[in-house]
Amino acid sequence: MAKQKSAMICSNCGSEMNHHADKLIDPVKPEDLLQLNSQLGGVIEEIHCCPGCGAAASRRQNEGG
Amino acid sequence: MTESRPLNIPVILGTTRKGRMSEHAARFMAAQIEKRNEVKTELIDISRLPMPIDDAGEGIKDPVFSEKMTMADALVIVTPEYNHSFPGLLKHVLDSCLKEYIHKAAGIVGVSAGPFGGVRAIQDFLPVIRELGLVNIFWDVNFGNVSKVFDESGKLLDEAFAARADKFLNELVWMAKTLRYGRDNIALES
Repeated sequence: MAKQKSAMICSNCGSEMNHHADKLIDPVKPEDLLQLNSQLGGVIEEIHCCPGCGAAASRRQNEGG
Repeated sequence: MTESRPLNIPVILGTTRKGRMSEHAARFMAAQIEKRNEVKTELIDISRLPMPIDDAGEGIKDPVFSEKMTMADALVIVTPEYNHSFPGLLKHVLDSCLKEYIHKAAGIVGVSAGPFGGVRAIQDFLPVIRELGLVNIFWDVNFGNVSKVFDESGKLLDEAFAARADKFLNELVWMAKTLRYGRDNIALES
């Protein structure tokens, strides 16, 4: 369970969020092409959940590092 | 496991058609959820959502609907069967969110005027549920011949549906609790 990037902080309650999923997204916007993972064939969206309040948040895999 | 928050399981009424009998099914399911301790619900009627049709996907995300999906632990999706599938506007609404759904439970309730209880709509729906990141349970509730299941006021005429809904909700609550624990506590391997 290695964490390679900084944890997201919940904007609702300030708790550290848990990165529990990566979702492959089809590139639909021009800026998506700049973040394309050519090996996986799309853009990776990291999905995070707040154990404190249940809020969800996401970021592109190459953000927030 | 974080138990300080009650489970939140909204019911999505997935049709905008006038005279829809699915509304009776959706209200029945919401009432069944309300009977449970530590589970809250609300009825989300897609006909009440401000969804433009000159764009699609997350470009038309409604902040109120997005917040409801964010705070949901599971969804009960009530879909009629129109021409052997689910309504296009239901998918239009669901497509407006993504991160909000990931690793949350979903149960589908099918409604049809004929005898099959929306089974073809449900079968069509499963790949969509999967791609949205939802986790579908193996129980459905099938309201076939729906005009014989509810009267015009929405009163349930066949009590067997109470037992069917109970089994469906038992499984959905289990899955919702399990997935909440995972979302809150289990980090993705990397």
